[in-house]
Amino acid sequence: MSVLKKEYDIGVKRLWRCHVCNDLHYGAAPPLLCPTCGAKNAFVQVDRDEALKIVGERGGALVTTEAIIEAWKGFAKFSEDYKLVEDAEMVSGLAEGVLANQKAHGLRYCPCRLAQGDFIQDLKLVCPCNFQVQQTYAERGECWCGLFVKREKQ
Amino acid sequence: MSTSDKLIWFSGKECVHCKRIRPIVEQFQAETGKKITELEVWHSEDNAKVMRGYGDTIKKACGGDLGVPAFYNEKTGNAVCGTVTLEKLKNWAG
Repeated sequence: MSVLKKEYDIGVKRLWRCHVCNDLHYGAAPPLLCPTCGAKNAFVQVDRDEALKIVGERGGALVTTEAIIEAWKGFAKFSEDYKLVEDAEMVSGLAEGVLANQKAHGLRYCPCRLAQGDFIQDLKLVCPCNFQVQQTYAERGECWCGLFVKREKQ
Repeated sequence: MSTSDKLIWFSGKECVHCKRIRPIVEQFQAETGKKITELEVWHSEDNAKVMRGYGDTIKKACGGDLGVPAFYNEKTGNAVCGTVTLEKLKNWAG
């Protein structure tokens, strides 16, 4: 990261496009390897309009609780640290909650915390959030909602 | 800030913990005769504004965010947050 810090302003996120396969990345620096095609040093900075045109209506939508739960499972399955809680009723209830917030407020905000009205600050509440820094994760081994929990080490 | 002395429960309609704590709130009211006013905050901007008005105290009680369920005592200015016990609720209510 030290090289990237010298080359890029890490406080500003920009859009980048892989010139080989048109993979898109939104971040302070371009990926060194394209995660889709594997090309090295392949990303070039692009503008928002170009990126939006590339995506268009593609990319899929998570508009059902089942789709959201599958995304959560996919997110957690390779983690050695956390997993989705083994309580189907709870998972389903929380999926309904984030879906309701998506419909009413535009993003899948955590249903167990209130947005403060500052868009950038409230991005921290979009599920899954960065729960490993939360007090509840340190003390009880779970995110605020109890949706993601620490894996028991063997 | 409100000038009333209400005991307020800030809840979220889709918050699983809020559903689970409801029997404890009902037991509290039955045992103490004190009323807790429930304000749902994700579906009512008015209620959300009330919660944000007590934001500093509630965030401190919740460990940094405006979590629900959160309970705010307008008389004492005290807040408790999360899935609390009946005993803790009684202490908070005073």
